[in-house]
Amino acid sequence: MIIPVRCFTCGKLIGDRWEEFARRVRTGENASDILDSLGIKRYCCRRMLLSNVEIIDEVLRFYEEAEKRKESRSFY
Amino acid sequence: MNRTVIILTIVECPRQVKIEVLEKNDTNLRLVIKEADVPFMNALRRIALAEVPSMAIDEVVMIENSSILQDEIIAHRLGLTPLKTDLNSYNLPEECECKSEFGCPLCRVTLTLDAEAKEGIRTVYSGELVSENPDIVPVSDKVPIIKLAKGQKLKLEAYARLGKGKDHAKWQPVSMCAYKYYPQIEVSTEDCGDCGAKCVNICPKKVLTVKENKVEVRELLACNLCMDCVEACPKEPKPIKVGWEKNAFIMNIESTGVLPPERVLQEATKILDKQLAEFEEQLKEETEK
Repeated sequence: MIIPVRCFTCGKLIGDRWEEFARRVRTGENASDILDSLGIKRYCCRRMLLSNVEIIDEVLRFYEEAEKRKESRSFY
Repeated sequence: MNRTVIILTIVECPRQVKIEVLEKNDTNLRLVIKEADVPFMNALRRIALAEVPSMAIDEVVMIENSSILQDEIIAHRLGLTPLKTDLNSYNLPEECECKSEFGCPLCRVTLTLDAEAKEGIRTVYSGELVSENPDIVPVSDKVPIIKLAKGQKLKLEAYARLGKGKDHAKWQPVSMCAYKYYPQIEVSTEDCGDCGAKCVNICPKKVLTVKENKVEVRELLACNLCMDCVEACPKEPKPIKVGWEKNAFIMNIESTGVLPPERVLQEATKILDKQLAEFEEQLKEETEK
């Protein structure tokens, strides 16, 4: 749904690194190099960022669409 | 036939523990500890993980939540957000003098959050939590708590308190606390054949290196005693020997940021002291009845 606050396995705080990670991946940088430069060493923490999908962005779109429909319905 | 049995008891005299710092920064501490034994190191490790108190949000009162995540999920995310801890001025709720279910200013910190998305999607960060004590704030201001769509609101009051890792992982002050034996590697260059440096190539930690056609130890402390190098060696008997030093350890502590790592260890020793004192007292009481 949304990036977990801590690593499931070891408990390291990883939530605050997500946005930088996602931004840099989008610019085409190598994910492994980004994780190294963010100081995320163990593979338990690395998979938290590597395998995360921000589904909350998709879910929010449904909410926004529903709001728009409500508005147009009340318009008529 | 008479046999004489000689029992040799080697009495180890307690020696001074020697500590050497290999690496130290805000969250990481790497130590070499000599003249300590496994039970002692393990006691410290387990206490650091499960008994050293730290601050975390424990109760959340939702005033308004029109976001798409349920109250429980938001409360859970808030709970896991590490808070900077002040062990000197706060008490564990079960040890606090107030004996109150709701806590007092000495065992509880109130944090509030009031966020609304006025235009478009916005992320609410841990930095938006307003604490009544400016010292007890989230370790990082950039932890996303939730994303709000236009018009959604989140208003809550959260109560943080000290707790222990054995009750919930959110109170664990360390994300890693581990020790390993101090490695010892010996390569006898005379018996070492010309196998093309098999032991050097197989090592996952790149401990060994070839220098002037001789196998040498490059980074001793990185060795994790996997013995791959010994197995890879084609010669018999093996010219490479991997072992560990007796009573010497490398300890690695990584704090989540709630307390400095050296403070975590200090607290661990204090707690061990306290537990032993309590045990001694109890023992005296029971045996002298």
